[in-house]
Amino acid sequence: MTRYVLIMADIGYVVLLIAFGLCIYVPVVAVIGARTRRTPLILSAEKAVNAVFGLLTLAAACLIYSIVTNDFQVKYVAEHSNLHMPLFYKITAWWGGQEGSLLFWVWILSAFSALVVAQNKHKNRELMPYVCSVLMSTALFFLVLLVFAADPFAKLPPSRVPPDGAGLNPLLQNPYMVIHPPNLYLGYVGFTVPFAFAIAALITGRLDSTWIKSTRRWTLFPWYFLGVGILLGGHWAYLELGWGGYWAWDPVENASLMPWLTGTAFLHSVMIQEKKDMLKVWNVSLIILTFVLSIFGTFLTRSGVVSSVHAFAQSTLGYYFLVFLALVIAFSFFLIVKRWDLLKSKNELDSFLSRESIFLLNNLVFLGLAFTVLWGTLFPIISEAVKGTRVTVGPPFFNQVNVPIGLLLLLLTGIGPLIPWRKASWQHLKRSFTYPILGALVGGTVLFFLGVRHAKALLAFTIALFVAGTILFEYTRGTLARREMTGEGYLKAFFTLISKNRRRYGGYIIHLGIVLIFVGVAGSSAFQVEREIALKPGESAIIGDYTIKYQGTSFKSDPNKTVASANLAVYRRGEKLSGLVPEKHRYLQGDQMVTTEVAIYSTMKEDLYTVLGAVEDDNTAVFKFVINPMVLWIWIGGFLFMTLGTFVITLPTLEELRERERARQLEFVTEKKVLSRA
Amino acid sequence: MNKKKLRFVIGGLVIAAAITYMVFASARSTMVYYVTVDELLAKNTSFHGEGVRVAGKVVPTSITKGPQPTEVNFKVKDKEGTQILPVYYKGILPDMFKDEADVIVEGHYNSDGVFHAKTLMTACPSKYVPEDKQQHVSTEQLKSY
Repeated sequence: MTRYVLIMADIGYVVLLIAFGLCIYVPVVAVIGARTRRTPLILSAEKAVNAVFGLLTLAAACLIYSIVTNDFQVKYVAEHSNLHMPLFYKITAWWGGQEGSLLFWVWILSAFSALVVAQNKHKNRELMPYVCSVLMSTALFFLVLLVFAADPFAKLPPSRVPPDGAGLNPLLQNPYMVIHPPNLYLGYVGFTVPFAFAIAALITGRLDSTWIKSTRRWTLFPWYFLGVGILLGGHWAYLELGWGGYWAWDPVENASLMPWLTGTAFLHSVMIQEKKDMLKVWNVSLIILTFVLSIFGTFLTRSGVVSSVHAFAQSTLGYYFLVFLALVIAFSFFLIVKRWDLLKSKNELDSFLSRESIFLLNNLVFLGLAFTVLWGTLFPIISEAVKGTRVTVGPPFFNQVNVPIGLLLLLLTGIGPLIPWRKASWQHLKRSFTYPILGALVGGTVLFFLGVRHAKALLAFTIALFVAGTILFEYTRGTLARREMTGEGYLKAFFTLISKNRRRYGGYIIHLGIVLIFVGVAGSSAFQVEREIALKPGESAIIGDYTIKYQGTSFKSDPNKTVASANLAVYRRGEKLSGLVPEKHRYLQGDQMVTTEVAIYSTMKEDLYTVLGAVEDDNTAVFKFVINPMVLWIWIGGFLFMTLGTFVITLPTLEELRERERARQLEFVTEKKVLSRA
Repeated sequence: MNKKKLRFVIGGLVIAAAITYMVFASARSTMVYYVTVDELLAKNTSFHGEGVRVAGKVVPTSITKGPQPTEVNFKVKDKEGTQILPVYYKGILPDMFKDEADVIVEGHYNSDGVFHAKTLMTACPSKYVPEDKQQHVSTEQLKSY
């Protein structure tokens, strides 16, 4: 009889079981405490939330420990790690596989839950029991998966323990692929918080904008991280997959885009509720939809439902997700119906020509985009269910529908900020829009005469100029107005203007980023040039302004892989610009995966993108050369401007920091008094 | 519902209807049948001239690089391995394209019995690819539309 040796993985599993139990404890106790008004119960539930965080941290530590110590009797370690993997990738293998990534998801949720508990010690006390219940119920779902269907700590029978693991897929051993899932998860999980508050608001009937104001940051941060995660995915695809593009309307890509679209709609429509106490049903439904799409996105990525021909959920996980989604939708719908009276607003919209109206239009457009993406993504399943044959739609479908809608959205981005709330007079409109419209038309005409004839791209550039014009107009107008009021210097007026209206001017920075993304996408879609050619060493190819000379391929090997590197020299008008070395890596272990390393010469004007194909024995190599105009604008607009804008919006001013410190000091003094009396 | 609210609701419905129309019309005009090798060969007449997407496995030793440097001819088989479809493709080959690889080709089934592929995608046959990355990471799309 073999002795059973306790390993970290066993501890990890037990810890998951305890956390599982606590996730049942919290909703039960919190709700009873809330209904019977017994504060000690509520406080116990909140302490349990913190305990869940501690436990899941321990469970994660056990998994990482198993990976780092090369414990291949743990199935997950054998499947996603190996002896030679660098430590960094061993740690990040935590989320490299199905089971580990589910643990990662629920760990982030527990961390966020603990943070929410800490933030709300002295506010939202009526909502908190239900907020905790919703958060822990969601965690319970993931723990159900982990405990029953996707155990990260499952062990292999002793006879099947391999001497070395399979290692992480080489495509994942890449910095972008390391940070891409965490960003996405911060987004998906983050949206659970405003969702929890919305449900709590519905249950308690406290449907004023308190729940919205309390979750402003909890909405903006997930939105930001999800957006960055999506951009990272596109950037990675551009660099690693070697087909010359950054977005393929792939089901997995679409799955992450949908909650981002509805989340963006939500970010805007809550402003209407804050200003005019309207659209309560809309807002509550929108955040529920965003949460549902986040879970759906998590599900779509791992169930194999859409991608393969004639295959339904490849793992049973799919069914669990569908049941959870059905429960969430049914419960939310029930709550909305129950609270319908409290949700109806007494106010109404004043006029078509108002910011509220534009925001509503903006919401419709975002939902239209989300619907399009959803329809296109689920089309294969729907068509198979209805007609019996599986039909797909690809980029042509998505582009045909989304480009016009996207352009409308871009236009609204320029109009919205300049139209006042309530009702706009024609005078006001004339004053605000004349310059931006003129500037855009002039710019568009100039572009036309410079040779830009592609209709949609020209339209996109013109509208982009318009929006940039409106943003410039707003900043200028605001700075000048401040100067007039206070006599400050231009620079001081500019910065003070921003710091006193961070949401507005930070939002404009984000809008500017979106404009850059639209411009980059339009440029690279409409004016892409591609050439595939076989070259012998010494031969050159011409594409666009560039002459590319192929100087031969060298081969290198290390224990992990063999690398073929093609040496290219890039010339323009006789002058040498750069050397480029596109590569092919062939990994020696496992399935002998081959990866492409693209070599790019990037300028603001365009990317010269080079891919190495097959290399013959005589060193003749097949290349794909692509000119992708303005791709850099996408990354700059997305990463730089979105980050800067979000930063500006959320940065507290000196005044606010002083205020918080004062509040904290007051709390401390009050507690001291209470304790000294006791 | 008063007149003002009615106008908003109607406006919203008009926009929603426009978008819905665009979605359905575009789907109809851009949709592509997605079949397996045996299904294509069984219904071959109805697919002549229409765009279709076929999934299958590359038959071992069938990959032949054509006369031109970027041309390639190969055969795809269905799951049972009984039905064979010859494929012609011109373009740079995906990284994982080799014998026994799962491929998805999109193009036209010509009357000469050869499938002319406009796009060629491969899926990694490895079971070590984590499930949540399998579809995304390993399919590579090459020739754009």
